[in-house]
Amino acid sequence: MTPTPGPTPAPAAAAPAPRPAWLRRLHLHLWPRSLAGRTAVLLVMALTVVQAAGLVIHALDRVDLQRLAQTHDIALRAITLYRAVALAPPAERALVARTFDVTSDSAAQLAPNPPIEDLMLTPLALQRQLRADMMLVPMPQTQRPRDQVFLGGPAYGRLAVGLQLPDGQWLNVTTAMPPPRPWNSATFLIAFLVMTAAAAALTVWAVRRLIRPVATLAAAADALGRDVNAPPLPETGPLEVATAAAAFNTMAARIRRFVDDRTFMLTAIGHDLRTPITRLKLRAEFMEDDEQRAKMLADLDELAAMVSATLAFGRDVAGDEPVRAVNLVALIRTLLDETVDARPEAEALVTYAGPEHLTVRARPVALKRALTNLVHNALNYGRCAHVMLAPPLGSVVTVLVDDEGPGIPPDQLDLVFQPFHRGEGSRNRETGGTGLGLPIARNILRAHGGDVTLANRPGGGARATVTLPLPA
Amino acid sequence: MEQAAAAPPPHILVVDDDREIRDLLAKFLERQRFRVTTARDAREARRVWPNGHFQLVVLDLMLPGEGGLDFARWLRTQSDVPIVMLTALGEETDRIIGLELGADDYLSKPFNPRELLARIRAVLRRAGEPSEKREEKPARGLHFAGWTLEPTRRRLLSPDGVEVPLTGGEYDLLVALVDRANKVLTRDMLLDLLRGRQAGPFDRAIDVAISRLRRKLEDDGRHAQLIKTVRGGGYVLAAEVTRV
Repeated sequence: MTPTPGPTPAPAAAAPAPRPAWLRRLHLHLWPRSLAGRTAVLLVMALTVVQAAGLVIHALDRVDLQRLAQTHDIALRAITLYRAVALAPPAERALVARTFDVTSDSAAQLAPNPPIEDLMLTPLALQRQLRADMMLVPMPQTQRPRDQVFLGGPAYGRLAVGLQLPDGQWLNVTTAMPPPRPWNSATFLIAFLVMTAAAAALTVWAVRRLIRPVATLAAAADALGRDVNAPPLPETGPLEVATAAAAFNTMAARIRRFVDDRTFMLTAIGHDLRTPITRLKLRAEFMEDDEQRAKMLADLDELAAMVSATLAFGRDVAGDEPVRAVNLVALIRTLLDETVDARPEAEALVTYAGPEHLTVRARPVALKRALTNLVHNALNYGRCAHVMLAPPLGSVVTVLVDDEGPGIPPDQLDLVFQPFHRGEGSRNRETGGTGLGLPIARNILRAHGGDVTLANRPGGGARATVTLPLPA
Repeated sequence: MEQAAAAPPPHILVVDDDREIRDLLAKFLERQRFRVTTARDAREARRVWPNGHFQLVVLDLMLPGEGGLDFARWLRTQSDVPIVMLTALGEETDRIIGLELGADDYLSKPFNPRELLARIRAVLRRAGEPSEKREEKPARGLHFAGWTLEPTRRRLLSPDGVEVPLTGGEYDLLVALVDRANKVLTRDMLLDLLRGRQAGPFDRAIDVAISRLRRKLEDDGRHAQLIKTVRGGGYVLAAEVTRV
């Protein structure tokens, strides 16, 4: 109940009635999470209901049939016995009547009176049936029963038939008449189970087939998130699926155009900046003050590095560089050596541990840039860079870049991969950087089918985890 | 540059479409005792070419009208003059085509003027060497001991075709050793060849670079078979080199 002031609609009407706990538990256990599973469960349930209804109709038919056969059988047995008794000499009649008593559930006797049983009169429809069936057995018209009495029926489990002989005596036949048992059939249950199972299997198969495009769409959306140039979805299949695929492709194309426009702008600015930077570098050479010249050249180098990073980010990272086999260890050593060459003071802070040879398929220049960015990031923000190449696990190779800095606030771990995001939340010149290093690294690695994530190590410092697929 | 003072200063043709860069570059190089002529595009360069007696051409590949690559191609039909290309950053294809056409070196814009100076001097020194190799320079690959060095792409391929990345210094060192295979190169000669590329103490840099190179060539440092240490301070690449 929310304490809302003023007139509110009746809460009971708004809130659905809480379900009992057992139902919720059942729901939790039996209700599948996947669309295919849910559809299949619903279809199978509906199918079972339809099956059951069909079986009931079938069973009712069998009841009628069974009753008809039962009635026919009783009528014939009774009239046949009657004929034998009626045609026998009077002295032997009792004996003949007793021969009927061969089964346990029936008995016959001669009596001076009709059957006296604690039974109601047989229903009229059944009486008519019995009389008609008795007419089927041929005998002289004079010998036919003078009178007939029917008591009981399936409702009592027994039927008593009294037939008056021409001499006035009664032949009373009592037989069991069990209620019909339409379910009493071995094949019945098996057929039901087999049909249900077959239908369920077909349903699951068909539903899976129909639902597959949804999974494809989800995979495509995921791929688009990683790479805007992911291949378009095939616009085939059922109408709805093809329409969804076409809509998705249109959306992807719009996103791509948007990204392309921004990239083009960025690249154009980067290109245009190169000429003035070159001029300034030349001009700096004519400065008399050595110290100022050195500082100006350093500034210009930084500016050039930013332009270069912007261009690298703007350019399609996959670029036109072909994929080829490259020794990853030599590549890591090269970039570490270049890092140390550029800043000799960092020599002891940059280490490599791992195997001496590992071949991957990659775009060497791009991959080197990605890993360089991670190493520089570790050096700039974490004081050192320890690169470790883990032995390949399955078809993935993992490169770790550890530092010993203050780490990264947990809420920033993914934000730092956004372009121009700054770790400290400021654009502090002291730490340098363009805010593009990590985004470029991630772009490049994702274009290689890998990824990079950042995490804080339990012992302090941050760890960049790079994954790359290995050649099959 | 004592020799330069004695001999007439080398004449350099600078082809760039930006007037400021052209003029500043000319002024900068003239201060380094080069004689400089500038051209704003390929047409003007063709015009000044016949009478210039140029020893080197600094060529921007991004020229209006006829592109820098086409001019380089024309230039090669005229002469073996060394060419240093200025390329746009990341235009790998242009750079590779340029090097295959026979350009001697390249720098990407924005470049450091001193770096350009170092490259110009290195290229002029190489061109001045009495070597027959210059004629066959646009080699696509140099094979030695199963390894392949591709000068146009500046890369090294292992015997099983896997690219082995090298630093700029390592690459230059390897080229120097491969160019003079089976000849002993003293540390001083290597220093001289690589000057301008490397920062820091050069002497140590050579030894460090050699040990890095050996590791990448999987050449055991103590029993090196490929890059052998010569007693008395030198190195030699002990392998037959074939050019393709």
